Amino acid sequence: MSKIKKKRVGFVLDMTPLVDITFLLLTFFMFTAKFRSEAENQQKFTIKRPQTTQDTAKLPEKDLVMIKVGIDSVENDTAFYLSMAGEQDIAKLAEAMVDLQFPGATEKTALFKITDSTWLGKAVEQARIVNPRAQFAVDADRRIKYRWIETAMNEMRKKRATTFNFVTDKKTGM
Amino acid sequence: MAGGGEGLGGGPKQKRGKSGKRKPKKRVGFRLDMTPLVDITFLLLTFFMLTTSMITPQTMEMNVPPELDIEIEVRESELLNILVRADGKVFAHMGNEEPEAPMSMKELRKFVVDKNVDLENRAIVTLKANGDAPYGLVVQILDELNAAEPEIIQGLGRNGINERKRKFTVAPYTPEDEEKVAGL
Repeated sequence: MSKIKKKRVGFVLDMTPLVDITFLLLTFFMFTAKFRSEAENQQKFTIKRPQTTQDTAKLPEKDLVMIKVGIDSVENDTAFYLSMAGEQDIAKLAEAMVDLQFPGATEKTALFKITDSTWLGKAVEQARIVNPRAQFAVDADRRIKYRWIETAMNEMRKKRATTFNFVTDKKTGM
Repeated sequence: MAGGGEGLGGGPKQKRGKSGKRKPKKRVGFRLDMTPLVDITFLLLTFFMLTTSMITPQTMEMNVPPELDIEIEVRESELLNILVRADGKVFAHMGNEEPEAPMSMKELRKFVVDKNVDLENRAIVTLKANGDAPYGLVVQILDELNAAEPEIIQGLGRNGINERKRKFTVAPYTPEDEEKVAGL
């Protein structure tokens, strides 16, 4: 006797566990997602950070002054890019920089492209006035010359910002 | 459309009594089509999964001494200079000695550990890097110095010292430094 294949009529699959897990994951990813800040939107370069083995602290999300040193992808020149974290700080810094008549500064500028040390010093000073609790972080491309970092360190030191962080990436593959 | 189906079923039924309360209809085997919900949820899930980056940047703390006009006298024999030449070669020497050959990262670490243990906390490590040296290399050295700390503490502990005072500074690279490492 040959087996007769049973026809499944109205086949229903219980989707509840699938939906449960999907929602769980969705919530997780939604809460952990970070959106790009205004300063990052104005950035026109990418930074290849130096890699370190040390498991050090994470970068704070507010009370932060970020000094990026990057190579512009279009003009191919190196410059400092100073920005702050947090909408209020960004707005206040922009206001202060417009008052100082920084070339090209508007109320909307979140990332200041600075090429000389005098302006960097002024910007660091303003940032410290805007938020005295802010920590400084230097995020520089590993290929740039050390001279740039030295200049930045000197300017920060002059403005009494003697503690700062170097932003690095964790070395993968120990 | 789900509501329409119910209405069709309930239409021909007569109401029992004019003043009587409406009896809630019991829904047996109620099913909700979840497919669109799952579709949207999956779409969002995929979007968030692909846009999130899990790698957060790390930080490395640095302390620089504030600008002081006072000259502090230090003994040359307690000064450990680390020099980074423009071509990326690393040299290390004590203040009263001359640098020899370029060092690898491993040798540098061993040198720093040995000197720190020998001098029992009195060593002052100074990093001087040429302006043309790559920044990545400088950070690599800083990382190496940080990694040497546990070894130094261990070494000091063997000598009966349980306290570690770290003295570390960054100093400008002078022409004299360049002279020292020029021919090596």
